[in-house]
Amino acid sequence: MKGISRRGLLASTASTLVLSGLAGSSRAIAAPAPSGSAVPHPDTEWRYYAADQANTRYSPLDQINAANFNDLEVAWSFKTDALGARKEYQFEATPLLIKGRLFTTAGSRRDCIALDAATGELLWMHRLDEGERALNSPRQLSGHGVSYWTDGTKERILYVTIGYQLVSLDAATGQVDPEFGVNGVVDLKRDFDQEIDPVHSDVGLHSTPLVVKDVVVIGAAHTAGDVPEVRQNVKGYVRGFDIKTGRRKWIFHTIPLKGEYGYETWIGGDADKAGNTGSWAQMSADEELGLVYIPVELPTGDETGIYRRGNALFGESLVAVDIETGFRKWHYQMVHHGLWDTDLPCAPILCDIPHNGRMVKALAQPSKQAYLYVLDRTNGKPIWPIVERKVEAGDVPGEWYSPTQPVPTKPPAYDQQGVSIDDLIDFTPELRAQAVEFVKNYKIGPLFTPPVISKPERWGTISAPGVQGGTNWPGGSYDPETHIAYIYSKTQPSVMGIIPNANTSVSEFAYVHGIAGMAPRKMSRMGAESGGGDFRPPAPPPPKPGQKAGGLPPGFLAIQGLPLLKPPYGRITAIDLTKGDIAWQVAHGETPDNIRNHPALKGLKIPRTGRPGNLGPLTTKTLVICGEAGFYTNEYGVRGAMLRAYDKATGQEKGAVYMPAPQSGSPMTYMLQGKQYIVVAIGGGNYSAELVAYRLPGKA
Amino acid sequence: MAEHSKIHVWGSAAMGGALLLLGGAIAHAEASERTVWSGVYASDQAERGKAAYAEQCAGCHGATLAGIDTAPPLTGSVFLNNWNNTSAGDLFERIHSTMPLNNPGSLSAKATADIEAYIFQANGFPAGQAALPPSQPMMAGIKILATKPAG
Repeated sequence: MKGISRRGLLASTASTLVLSGLAGSSRAIAAPAPSGSAVPHPDTEWRYYAADQANTRYSPLDQINAANFNDLEVAWSFKTDALGARKEYQFEATPLLIKGRLFTTAGSRRDCIALDAATGELLWMHRLDEGERALNSPRQLSGHGVSYWTDGTKERILYVTIGYQLVSLDAATGQVDPEFGVNGVVDLKRDFDQEIDPVHSDVGLHSTPLVVKDVVVIGAAHTAGDVPEVRQNVKGYVRGFDIKTGRRKWIFHTIPLKGEYGYETWIGGDADKAGNTGSWAQMSADEELGLVYIPVELPTGDETGIYRRGNALFGESLVAVDIETGFRKWHYQMVHHGLWDTDLPCAPILCDIPHNGRMVKALAQPSKQAYLYVLDRTNGKPIWPIVERKVEAGDVPGEWYSPTQPVPTKPPAYDQQGVSIDDLIDFTPELRAQAVEFVKNYKIGPLFTPPVISKPERWGTISAPGVQGGTNWPGGSYDPETHIAYIYSKTQPSVMGIIPNANTSVSEFAYVHGIAGMAPRKMSRMGAESGGGDFRPPAPPPPKPGQKAGGLPPGFLAIQGLPLLKPPYGRITAIDLTKGDIAWQVAHGETPDNIRNHPALKGLKIPRTGRPGNLGPLTTKTLVICGEAGFYTNEYGVRGAMLRAYDKATGQEKGAVYMPAPQSGSPMTYMLQGKQYIVVAIGGGNYSAELVAYRLPGKA
Repeated sequence: MAEHSKIHVWGSAAMGGALLLLGGAIAHAEASERTVWSGVYASDQAERGKAAYAEQCAGCHGATLAGIDTAPPLTGSVFLNNWNNTSAGDLFERIHSTMPLNNPGSLSAKATADIEAYIFQANGFPAGQAALPPSQPMMAGIKILATKPAG
């Protein structure tokens, strides 16, 4: 095997870029070169966060398959400890692969780095020390990664800093592009159609910019809105920038201005003062249709909507806008005036599916509420009917309740929705009996049961899925050949109680998310100094008759330390979009240690329960590959998590390899010099962030 | 040849002895192992920790330690399983070096230990006589176990 210099490596892979460029369609980029190529295993690329602009997280590679998955070895690993002033434990990025180089953000300062994809060697690093501006950001740490653009000659890497600045770098050197913005940087807190404080304002972004044609599209993220500090927060508008100059091309008002479409869906002009309504999720784009698909979060107040009365567009909507102008083509609102923190958390998957005898340009939007919404992406019309169902109103003074909510008839929900007695833990009759007793102090009901005023005899509504979903930011995966979507979701209910608040230094909201007897706590807005508000410890709640003192506080959903609801706690669902049905579903993740060792469960045979977390699966020619969300202690007494592979046709597990820590960023794959690699970001607990590359044994 | 065999046998015997000794050491260590179930913090320390938690942590991890949209829970199944078989020192290090996110490194070692004591209390681990020491190496020998060891 002759030695290969980096220069040789880059030169030999340059042809790949040309081939990919000729293929034209973004979806062809992860595909091998056309047949007839002299190279048996041509190099492939991974140019977008989830493989392509369609967000399929799909690659047709098959060198790693069911027969050899267990043989995978660590090719290299890259620890991110030295990036930033301290270690990071929440490494959510998926790197891009272009011409033998991996590009990602990493470390607690969100540095931008390039690595040699064959060895993990650091090629360059870009760092922006933003001081206070970064410390005040609502989105800390390394973020979800970077974006790539090329005109065939110039190559650019773009990322958003913790302090909400857009940076454009030369992919070859990591040096800023002097023609972009001011010395390579666009200050995203300016030219925003609102005046905001450059250091303290509540806006940031941890998703990657969306690069489509010569436009880079940027969303906005804010502090979580359970206890919103202010009523008039930053408005989360979405903007398109010229990728060559950094000049703003357009802005889309996710909260319409007076006179704009959608303004009338807000009652009493509430749109004027409302904030948030950002797009913190990844986005998708269809260059042929000329559309960008923008998932939008709630307006200010995750569980209280008293200052955003009405359906309040474009909250919890998917909006399709023109790539060049930002004009709205269509929108679809998944939840009307939501009270359950059901932001649209991830990109819709663009998919061409057979329906009623013809191919339809569709999209499939995974959600926190465990519905996969399937729409015609040319016009936003549902592929299968979505019907308005009557829902219950709650008892919060001043709240506005939507009388109905949209409910898809197909595909069926892919995770637990709502809570009934049948859904409670039932490993043993004793545990079930305790759970039945437990929920008497809560409100339970179907999906869209509203949050209620918290009081000792009824602490709140138990909502499943909870505030984190369902599915969250990693989104799903999709096989364009079989038209099957693969979605990870978790079963992790939340208590949604509402309490009055008179302390305006904590929140300007008269009612906030909380539990009776506990003073509302200021959210770490990170835009505010740590001070003000009432920092006395929460008063202990009044003990209920018969309640044991010193136990878990109310609002904590556990029975003898075990989850309140039945497993699986984490699952992967295959959804066949040719039929709108579930093809298979598996519990994903080893049974946690505290269940395997629980004295109340001794002698019971409990099937694998899965683990709750935020995971993005990867689909290849034959496999669905996904790491576990949590640590467990294996048969050798070693802590870690497994990277698992399932037969994508049946869901049967075909192999698993050890990772020292859980999957924290979604895996990606590529072929380089005849070897297929799987690269995944891991970390959590006491194990700091690391990028790990796996490949089959033998010389690379 | 004979010489060689002799050495070989001798070597095995020595190794066997070493293994026996090692086995004894392990048994001894297990017998005296300190875990979060052994009473490793003091009640008044947890009270101080509760106040510090409310000021420094509750904004993200919630008043009930149940976590919110953007921060994980610090009690219950998810928390305990992710920290099972690590040490109190590991948890101390993570909190001390990375929290709170908007001002990492600002918590004193004492405040960190107090907050950790409160987290232990909230997870149902019993209080003891001595306080959790404000030092990572001093608590590295305290194992976090999600379930109470038998006996």
